[in-house]
Amino acid sequence: MAEPVDSKELPVATVVRPRRARISVVWIVPVLAAIVAIGIVVQRFISEGPTITIIFRTAEGVEAGKTLIKYKDVNIGQVTAVSLTDDFAKVEVKAKIAKHAAGLMVDDATFWIVRPSISLSGISGLSTLLSGNYIGFEAGKSYASERAFTGLEVAPFIAGQPGKQFVLKAADLGSLGAGSPIYFRRLPVGQVISYGLAKDGKSVEVKIFVNAPYDKFVSHETRFWNASGVDITVDANGFGVHTESLVALLVGGLAFDTPDFLPAAQPALANWIFPLYGDRATAMKAPDAVARRYVLHFRESLRGLSMGAPVTFLGLPAGEVTSIGLSFDEKSTNIGTRVVITFFPERLLSYADPEMAAKFEAALAKSTQKRHSFLQRLVEERGLRAQLRSGSLITGQLYVAFEYFPKAPKAKVDWNPETPELPVMSSNLVELEAKLTSILDKIDKMPLDAIGDSLKKDLDNLGETLTDARKLIGSTDTLVGNVDSKLVPSLKTDLEALQRVLQATEQAMKNVDATLLGPNAPAQQELRDALTEFTRAARSLRVLLDYLERHPESPLRGKTQSSSGGK
Amino acid sequence: MSAAALGAEAAGYVSCTTCRLLSRPALAEAPGFCPRCGAELRLRRPRSIEVTWALIVAAAILYIPANALPVLTTTTLGSEESDTIITGVIYLYRSGSWFLALIVLVASVMIPLGKLVALSYLCISVQRGSAKNNHDRTRLYRLVELIGRWSMLDVFVDAFIVALVQLKPLMSVEPGSGVVYFMAVVVLTMLAAQSFDPRLIWDAHPPARGRHG
Repeated sequence: MAEPVDSKELPVATVVRPRRARISVVWIVPVLAAIVAIGIVVQRFISEGPTITIIFRTAEGVEAGKTLIKYKDVNIGQVTAVSLTDDFAKVEVKAKIAKHAAGLMVDDATFWIVRPSISLSGISGLSTLLSGNYIGFEAGKSYASERAFTGLEVAPFIAGQPGKQFVLKAADLGSLGAGSPIYFRRLPVGQVISYGLAKDGKSVEVKIFVNAPYDKFVSHETRFWNASGVDITVDANGFGVHTESLVALLVGGLAFDTPDFLPAAQPALANWIFPLYGDRATAMKAPDAVARRYVLHFRESLRGLSMGAPVTFLGLPAGEVTSIGLSFDEKSTNIGTRVVITFFPERLLSYADPEMAAKFEAALAKSTQKRHSFLQRLVEERGLRAQLRSGSLITGQLYVAFEYFPKAPKAKVDWNPETPELPVMSSNLVELEAKLTSILDKIDKMPLDAIGDSLKKDLDNLGETLTDARKLIGSTDTLVGNVDSKLVPSLKTDLEALQRVLQATEQAMKNVDATLLGPNAPAQQELRDALTEFTRAARSLRVLLDYLERHPESPLRGKTQSSSGGK
Repeated sequence: MSAAALGAEAAGYVSCTTCRLLSRPALAEAPGFCPRCGAELRLRRPRSIEVTWALIVAAAILYIPANALPVLTTTTLGSEESDTIITGVIYLYRSGSWFLALIVLVASVMIPLGKLVALSYLCISVQRGSAKNNHDRTRLYRLVELIGRWSMLDVFVDAFIVALVQLKPLMSVEPGSGVVYFMAVVVLTMLAAQSFDPRLIWDAHPPARGRHG
């Protein structure tokens, strides 16, 4: 305002630079704070792993902010959110994966919920009892990064263990389950990892893992079979029970082996697909390269004959029954049986000694004609016939036996049809049955009632006869009494007479002494004659006594016609 | 008491901040030392507003990680659970202890934030030379200084729990990194409150009114 400048009012220049211009040291504090904060953010950003989404069917025990994702028991992430999918059908689990594990999130990585499980094949996930369920993780092999996954329902077999994985194709699962043991010579060597229906739905694919070093025993020729539970077989071979181990008995299991007849092969490649056989016998059966099919028309019931029933040749297994059915004969309008059998000549050859087998093969394998004529000869000349036989009387299972029946009616083989028919022979059992039936029929036809009636009559008659006989005996008694009273006195008189005779004889003897002992004893001859006469008389008397003894009635009734001699 | 009361500076004196002895400054620019206790005499705390601002800014920056990072990590039988201050409050509220939740919310979230806001307001008002509500502003400052230390409640609780709950296989509690930043926030706001010179509130009072009033 005042024009003249008052010099006193002007500021005095300072010697040192005014301090105010300088920024205070205290600003280091916010700068440091900012650096720290930015550092945290940067660190967070750097260490921030990806967020992934896993779809599970249920989120059993999965909690946001709590449930961890573990790989080889190392935390690699944590669940941040659990929610239902848009269609409410499944559960969507969001998880933050640690930066260092981000590289593991590839499209074939697998997730599953680890929950405690106690089964006969083992206890797993026991730690989850205390800590709660966690999400298990298994790294994949792919390099394609992926952020959305579908969780598995069951834990896959933890890889990283040396060994190999194989795939088995089975008709059905049997009693297998994840974790079912795999046996090699009854040694547990692996387990079933998972199973699922094949894409076409026609078979079950079972993924198995065979631990090293046993995996090298799995070659391309190895056969796997179901050792599940108890394998009870009732067939024409009898009754069989087969189990692999108690665990397998309870939880099911698999077994494998390589048949001896096959050459040692290279170990199989991982994920090789094997068929799964129902049982050991089927699995270990030698492959039948040559199979010939024949038709048999049995005239008897096929009850007890099942598909797969053995076909034997002279008692040796040579094939099996392939199909059982009916045939219709147009001419006779008759419905009969039709059994198709498959004949494996190689099996029979394996019973022959090798040289002979080779000769045999050389002779017959070459031409169909020769083979046919050979078989023709067997049928026509030797009487080769098929017969149904009972393998086991208890089970009633039948099998087809080829035997020689030299007395069989003549038959021919017609080679024209694709599956030639072979002649059959009624089975022994059936024959026996027929005979028994005919016998029974005959018995049935017998007039048993009439026989019984007449028998009864006869018996009545017999009774009457016996009564008569008894009467007769009674009368005989009286007769004997009569003999005592009547015959004996007469005998006495006879004897008295005899005595008199003897006395007279004595008298005569005295006379004889005089007449016979004399020098001219003319009476000596007469005496001799008299003695002879006497002897005769005595004999007659004996005969009489005998007769009387036997026929005491004779003094009363007289002599019967047939008897000879008498008084 | 009266807004028109004469301040020491205005009267040409300087008050010792240590022993409160009123003396005449040796020079207007450099008042010298207290003749009684030997403390350095200052008319006003040098760069009070600037320092306060710097500390407020630093505290505000650190307030973010203090709330974003977990303060406690509880491990119960293998399951790990990390809680930030806010999730702790939510947990307490959800588990029914709304009163505890309120205490923690007030002590750990609202008070630090309130202090930052209050100090910022004081600094701004001083810088703009506002002469209004001097009494209220002074009361606000006293409140900030008084309750500042109570924000450490959370840190103390943390320290107690961590020291007490160490049942290793069953349960253990570990301090989270957030608690360090939280402590830094509390300390910085306390320092900021300390560095703010409340006398500045009254300096903006027009001298004329002061002298006459």
